[in-house]
Amino acid sequence: MRNYEIMFIVNPNSPEDEVDKINSQIEGIITAGGGKVEKIEKMGKRKLAYEIDRNREGHYVLIVLNANGDIVRECERRLRVTEGVIKYITVRTDEEVRRFEKMKSFRQKRAARRGSSHSRGTAVEELPEQIADEAM
Amino acid sequence: MAAPKQYYRRKKVCKFCVERIDSINYKDVKLLSQFVPERAKIMPRRISGVCSPHQRQLNDAIKKARNIALLPFTSE
Repeated sequence: MRNYEIMFIVNPNSPEDEVDKINSQIEGIITAGGGKVEKIEKMGKRKLAYEIDRNREGHYVLIVLNANGDIVRECERRLRVTEGVIKYITVRTDEEVRRFEKMKSFRQKRAARRGSSHSRGTAVEELPEQIADEAM
Repeated sequence: MAAPKQYYRRKKVCKFCVERIDSINYKDVKLLSQFVPERAKIMPRRISGVCSPHQRQLNDAIKKARNIALLPFTSE
């Protein structure tokens, strides 16, 4: 089980409940396959940075989920065949989150060490670049 | 005898290191758009001063954002 984010854009001319319909469909696929939907966020109508199929805007939807790769593949297939969805992207987020956690704990440890051994070192004096390199 | 002209160039620092921004997310258009100038190209490190690990993350984030039409590939 991994964490993913699926973001897709629905045609701006389709009505609002069309978006809800697609959402519930995708949610159905995920829960049926044993995955978990953590968040469905409708980001509303936004302007696109470039034209897609003659559309200049679109309804953005973000789904955060925890599921297997097969389920994600099925979702992508469904999005591809669903009319009204003009673009979608899937991003795996667990690695990103892990790196973030690691960075955070590293920083805390460092702060603790500095605080106990010698008191003159304040947080401002740290070398931030070095932290970033080491945590990678 | 003219003394050699002295230049003071301010040392560039990585924005993400200084402000402790750990995760560079593709959805954060406001942050990313600071690194895509008018022509919508990705700003090189030598200009922005971003350190290489962060530049790598930034690159990925910008490319993802382009894919989902949050940022343009080209403009003009």
